[in-house]
Amino acid sequence: MVKKYNKGSRIEYRKRDILFTAGLWLVSLILPDPHLPYRREFIKKRDFFYVGALLLLPLILSGPLVYLMVLAGIYAIVALGLSLFLGYAGQISLGHAAFFGIGAYTTAILTTRYAVSPLEAFGASALAAAVCAYLIGKPILKLKGYFLALATLGFGEIFLVMVRESRSLTGGVSGIFGVPWFSVAGFAFDTSLKQYYLVWGVLIALVLFAKNLVRSKMGRTLLAVAASEDAAASVGINVAQVKVRVFVLSAAFAGLAGSLFACVLSTANPQGFGLGLSVLVVMMVIMGGMGNLYGPIFAAIFLTWLTDVLGGFQEYSLPIYGVILILLLIFFPDGVGTRLNERLIYLISYWGRKRRRERVDI
Amino acid sequence: MNPWIHIPQLLAAGITMGAIYALVALGFVIIVRASQILNFAQGEFVMLGGVVTFFFITGAGLPYPLAALAAVLAVIVIGFLLHLLVVYPLRKASVLILIMATVGASIVISNTSALLFGTLPKALPPFSGDLPLELGGIRIVPQNLWVLGATFLLFFVLYFLSHRTLVGKAMEASSTDPLGADLSGIARNFMVFLAFGVSAGVGAIAGVLVTPIFYTSYNAGTLLGLKGFIAAVVGGWGKNSGAVLGGFVLGVVESTSIAFIPAGYKDAVAFVVLLLILYFRPKGILGSPYIDSRRW
Repeated sequence: MVKKYNKGSRIEYRKRDILFTAGLWLVSLILPDPHLPYRREFIKKRDFFYVGALLLLPLILSGPLVYLMVLAGIYAIVALGLSLFLGYAGQISLGHAAFFGIGAYTTAILTTRYAVSPLEAFGASALAAAVCAYLIGKPILKLKGYFLALATLGFGEIFLVMVRESRSLTGGVSGIFGVPWFSVAGFAFDTSLKQYYLVWGVLIALVLFAKNLVRSKMGRTLLAVAASEDAAASVGINVAQVKVRVFVLSAAFAGLAGSLFACVLSTANPQGFGLGLSVLVVMMVIMGGMGNLYGPIFAAIFLTWLTDVLGGFQEYSLPIYGVILILLLIFFPDGVGTRLNERLIYLISYWGRKRRRERVDI
Repeated sequence: MNPWIHIPQLLAAGITMGAIYALVALGFVIIVRASQILNFAQGEFVMLGGVVTFFFITGAGLPYPLAALAAVLAVIVIGFLLHLLVVYPLRKASVLILIMATVGASIVISNTSALLFGTLPKALPPFSGDLPLELGGIRIVPQNLWVLGATFLLFFVLYFLSHRTLVGKAMEASSTDPLGADLSGIARNFMVFLAFGVSAGVGAIAGVLVTPIFYTSYNAGTLLGLKGFIAAVVGGWGKNSGAVLGGFVLGVVESTSIAFIPAGYKDAVAFVVLLLILYFRPKGILGSPYIDSRRW
């Protein structure tokens, strides 16, 4: 028989062990958790299909479309983070463009002024966005509905004014130029094909993280808060804390995306981080379906493509964009995918019932 | 340099600005009193009021008062259309969907107006000359007095409408107790329809009054609408008196802040005021019938 471990004995740790554990913890964020039940469901067959399609897509697409997919991937990262806050926790944010901008400006300032490597700036961007989100989220997340929407929108506007006015730090309206390409250990992502794999690689890692999160206790808590805050509080959930946490997390996602954005466009200027971007990202989440992780990514690809196509109509682009936005909201308020799926399932089941009915009749 | 010597002049400017914010805020309150809907396109009504008047004067050659009247009527029709095409189909949708739909409507309205009337800022002649009056060392443009007078007149008209007429009371009932309103035979959707018209009218009047003082361009509506909403929240959400008080408070604070901080930060002041009031007194200065003081 194996000797039982003596509780009183002192365990010796080495620094290496702690580093190893930290690494394991980081990996465990991305890898499926083996202790979860329904392990088989974590990665489905369709996921392999999606990843394969992503890997092979640049073979089919031409140059500009690959660049468009890079942008779509960046917006998809923001949409994924916002999906946790908006789709799962049921809160409203019209200020995520500000966190995106904070990420972009952190990277731009650190790499151009202080010669920090892009990889470190990447981490710093997420950290900066998360800290800002914590400071702003702590007071305003007790608001609901219209007031939360307005407060986050107000934060976005304040951010824009600060960026425009603090010229010595951010370069004012013209912004910062010459942000270096993203590079890891001397390997620079300097073509749009390499950037494509970089952005979508980051996105896949974040999707796995988000999937883990959604299936964890935290994810269930988010759903409970979205369903009813009073009920969630009555079963012992610290509602305020949960909201702040998910806000910080989604802001960190937006910060990462902003950092990639600055590296890909090699510039950061305030035009890109206004209310327009916030509205676009929220539209991605709505179109993808609330409480859904894959939907916002598809919606990000679709809406990025749509804005690019509409850009060809010159001055007519924005009115048409607004009309399409309203029509999508009127006809697909639960998201395009969700609504179509429901209809499809209804039709199939109707067809099945019909066949069964006919069989019974005979 | 002593910043305090500019304070009286800035106060005068702030009160004018406050009157404009109050008019925009009243537009928000009218709709909220009828339906708990927040119309993010409210600022566009203000912009349209100025731009369409300009178009009627220069394009159609109408005299000034007639052009202003025609513009207000046109904007009221646009308000009705906004309800019929955007808000009515979404009457059962969630808050988020309505916000996004009205934001979409505001994108459509402002950019269509840019297409139709051009992107250049428009300026109208003042109602009664632009010779400034001297009042104890402060210079006041007569148009400012027009704006102030119109604000108070509209405030009293709206007060009368909502407290002394059957339609106004029906509007309020359909917001505070939808089921009760239905049971007593109030056509709730029609009330919201009317509210959108009245709100668009108030917005358009504000636009006509503002354009002689500031240049109105196609993209001026968004920021003006946001500040009007902030004014309505600061004063007390859903109250006419709160909207007017909030407008003046916001205008004065924003204007006097110029004396102490760089002018570029002026637009951020309103949002800082908003965050402070939402944190410390969410129901606004005068209190709000729609917001529970504990949580909402």
